[in-house]
This record gives sequence, C-alpha cells and structure tokens, in this order.
Amino acid sequence: MIPPSALPEEYALSEEIKNASEAVKQIFSIEHRGKKEYNKLVQKELINRIRRHQYDENTAETRIARITGHIRCLQDTLEKYPRNVKAKQTAQELIDRRKKLLKYLRQYDYKKFEWLLEKLNIVYKAHPESLHKLSRKESLRKLTEMHCEDIRQGKLAEYKNLLESQQGPFLKDKIDALKLIRSEQIELQLPITVMEQDIKKVEQQYEEWKVKDDLKQQARKKKKNLLLE
Amino acid sequence: MYFRKDEFYYCHDPVKKCKTGDIVLIQALPHKMTKLITHEIKDVVYPFGDITDPVTGKKVAKAQYREDIEKQAEIYGKLDSGFDYNKAPARGWQDGKKDFTSKPTYTKFHVFDEEDPYAV
Repeated sequence: MIPPSALPEEYALSEEIKNASEAVKQIFSIEHRGKKEYNKLVQKELINRIRRHQYDENTAETRIARITGHIRCLQDTLEKYPRNVKAKQTAQELIDRRKKLLKYLRQYDYKKFEWLLEKLNIVYKAHPESLHKLSRKESLRKLTEMHCEDIRQGKLAEYKNLLESQQGPFLKDKIDALKLIRSEQIELQLPITVMEQDIKKVEQQYEEWKVKDDLKQQARKKKKNLLLE
Repeated sequence: MYFRKDEFYYCHDPVKKCKTGDIVLIQALPHKMTKLITHEIKDVVYPFGDITDPVTGKKVAKAQYREDIEKQAEIYGKLDSGFDYNKAPARGWQDGKKDFTSKPTYTKFHVFDEEDPYAV
C-alpha cells in the first residue's frame, strides 16, 4: 500500500531532505524506522481518504478508517506470524467493533455508508439471524435436502421435456382434423363451427413449437459434441 | 408502566418497491389475497438510512441536519476528501459488490466451488 521509500510524518515537510542524497533519503525512510512508523502512515493514509476537514478526528468515518488501518497492520503481522494469538484476537475484536460502527452508520446514513465501503475497500455483511456453531448433523441435513431438491427438479424437467416433445405431433394432428371437419361441414352444408381463424391460431402455435424444438435440438447436439470431445 | 405494542401486516409488493428497513405507506386490499396477505404497499415514505425530518422537511443524519454538518465542515475548512451528499448516487450501487445486506445471511454449512457471499 505504502512504498518503503516513503518518508515519515516529521520529515516529510522538511526542505533539507528534499535536496539530500539518495543514501540519506533511504536512511530516513520508513524502511529504517520500524513497523510502528509504517503503521502510523497506513492509518493516516486511510483517514485522509475520507476526512471532512482538517480537525476531523472523532466522526464515524474517521473512527472506522482508523480501526481499518489498525486491522490491516495486524493482518500484515498475522501473515508473517500466523501463530501470534494476541494479534489474532485483537484483530477479531477490532473487526467486530468496526462492524458495529458500520451497522449504526448504515441505519442513519445509508449513502455515506456505501461511499465509505467503496473508499476503504471494506465488505459488509449483515448479522445473521442466529449465529451458532455448525454441527455435523445440520450440515448433512442441509446437503441431503439440496440433493433431494436437485433430483426432484431434474425429474420435473425431464417430464416437462417429454410433454413438450409430444406437443408438435398433437398440433399437426389437430390442424388436419380441423381442416377435415371444416371441409366436410362445407360439403354437407351444415352450420360451420370451425372458423379459418381457429385453424390459423393452431398453425401459429405449431410454428412456435417448431422454432423452440429446433433450439432444443441444437443445444442437445452441442452437449453431445462437448461430451464426445 | 409503558409497554410497546407492535402489529404485523403482510403486504403485497409485486414490483419489490421497498427493502428491509424502509418506512412505507400501506393500504388494505378490498379482498384478502391469501390468509395472511391483507394489505398492499402504496408508497415508500422514508427509505432506510435516508431520513427526512417531517416537521421541517430537511434531511437528517442521526441527531443533526445535514446542512449543519456541511456548515460545520466549512467553518473548519472543508476538504475535497469529505463525503458530498449532492454527488452521491442513489442507494444500492454497492449492492452485491461490497454491501451484502439485501438477503439474510446464514451460517456456512459446506465449502462449495462457488462461494456464496451470504454465508457467514
């Protein structure tokens, strides 16, 4: 985030260091000042991203930014020393505190909350309704339920496919039958019950089905080809 | 002693006008839709986290008017890094990116190939 050649706060404004040689600059940079100074710079950088005015120290945004800086530094240490339990605990406590502040900010100023998430690169998830330790039984139950639902949906889709494939031949038969009825009614001079419109409607349905079926066939072919490859 | 009393209404909202936490106006349906659903949503009066003072009609953040907050910042010397209400996009631009609050979260019960952000 911050380059190791950056200068700490107290030297950054100095005129003499600007004209100094590379070696001097390197000695005065945070690379040689230890982790504490580096952490300070990280925090400051985060606060400066969202500061309202120069003396803004204790508003919700700045507090969240400060905590975020602290968390990021602790995470750096944890990457280096993963068995540092104290750092882990502190990080978790700070994350919880930050979450609480974000929760309140969300309640009274949603727009600012969203802006802050973007600026500080934080992900916010709502509190779960019940936070409990997961048991083996619960996990297995949920997975079984999902598996059963999958099977159910698969069977339903298959049955739907079957019914849709039977629609085409049925519509074809229907058109033929309607045409026959109409021609016979005209021939025998009976009252005509089958109109031209009715036949057209069915024909349109048949065309629509054809287009759909073509698409389905193509998709099936593609799948087969993929499997063969 | 004073006891708070809550009433629950199940409302019909087909276009999903409102989100959790909004203050809305509801109207009784002429006929019950189902056994539970008796009302429909007419309007969102105050969206969640974007509150207007009903007396003065000014926007509010917590116990302060937003105007006053701006004024305070100006007196101290306003910086560009601060949040500007006028430039802010409408609510929901971070939904699904960094803000995962539109659905309830649950305890994570399995490691899937595709991770669900709502699993905690």
